[in-house]
Amino acid sequence: MPIRPDLLQAQDRAWTSLGHPGTWWTGADRVAIAAETRHAASCPLCAARAEALSPAMVGGDHATLGSLPGAAVEAIHRIRTDSGRIGESWIVRLMAGGMDEARYVELVSVVAITIAIDTFRSAVGLEVLPLPPVHLGAPRPSRPVGVKRDLCWVSTLAPEDVGPDDPDIYLMRRDGPPERSGANIQRALSLVPQAMLQWWDMLEVMYMPGPWMRDFTREYRAVSHAQIEMLAARVSALNRCIY
Amino acid sequence: MAGVMDGASEMRVPHATELLDFVAAALSFDPVRIAATRDAVLNTMGEPAMVDAAAVIAGFNGITRIADATGIPLEDFKAEQSENWRATLGINQFANTKS
Repeated sequence: MPIRPDLLQAQDRAWTSLGHPGTWWTGADRVAIAAETRHAASCPLCAARAEALSPAMVGGDHATLGSLPGAAVEAIHRIRTDSGRIGESWIVRLMAGGMDEARYVELVSVVAITIAIDTFRSAVGLEVLPLPPVHLGAPRPSRPVGVKRDLCWVSTLAPEDVGPDDPDIYLMRRDGPPERSGANIQRALSLVPQAMLQWWDMLEVMYMPGPWMRDFTREYRAVSHAQIEMLAARVSALNRCIY
Repeated sequence: MAGVMDGASEMRVPHATELLDFVAAALSFDPVRIAATRDAVLNTMGEPAMVDAAAVIAGFNGITRIADATGIPLEDFKAEQSENWRATLGINQFANTKS
């Protein structure tokens, strides 16, 4: 089946990146997060919680692969199986249970990359990829100086607060507007620039870069702007996402 | 717009039925259901469209997790523009289930 080379390359880059040390997690940790993301789909506790009026009504232990701390397992399973009902109180409990917000943001990025690639391959009829090889090395913790917790439940870096030492996460142009507008959703992972770049560099190939999205004078994909937005909206509705 | 929420109401987007069925199947990870709906998209729209549709579905299956896991709010102007139809379609009720 012919698949756009840029699509395969973008997913390959993102998948490979999971095995490399991140900003806050080792390569082994990141691969473990990807594995746990897959494993969560068959967790009996998650299945019971998904059926309950409120997930908090169902106690018990997750069926886990066992290589990650409990707070990470809870985060991965909830994001994989019941993300639409995540509320701020759950995040607060997670942080109180030992999850650092920057580690959480990187974890979210790894979970999202895993879900997106697995969904794509299963949708087009390809086998799921084996987990990527682990590359040894320590994470390189760093936190952008300009981050603020003023937008959502985690700190973010607004376009106007990007400093000279920060990666070019919004793809600033010398002339004209940035490639990435800094819409709220683009800021979500900005506390960990490397994690944000790994996600958005892949997503924009799967979906569209911002300038294409706003250009209604031509179609850039084999599905139209209207069809793309309908698909995206239906995914959001099924996942009960209010953004 | 109601078709986006219920997956059944008539949509004025070409091949909406095939595409919406493909979304629901892809998110189910049920290989039998996926194969049937994928074939429907393939037969009506062709291979490049099926691949691009799958890519959009998959990308948004990831990005909705990012939005929900971080509590990213809708921009004020988007919330104002969409206020009426969000209420009509019941999207605002999603917020009541968060915990």
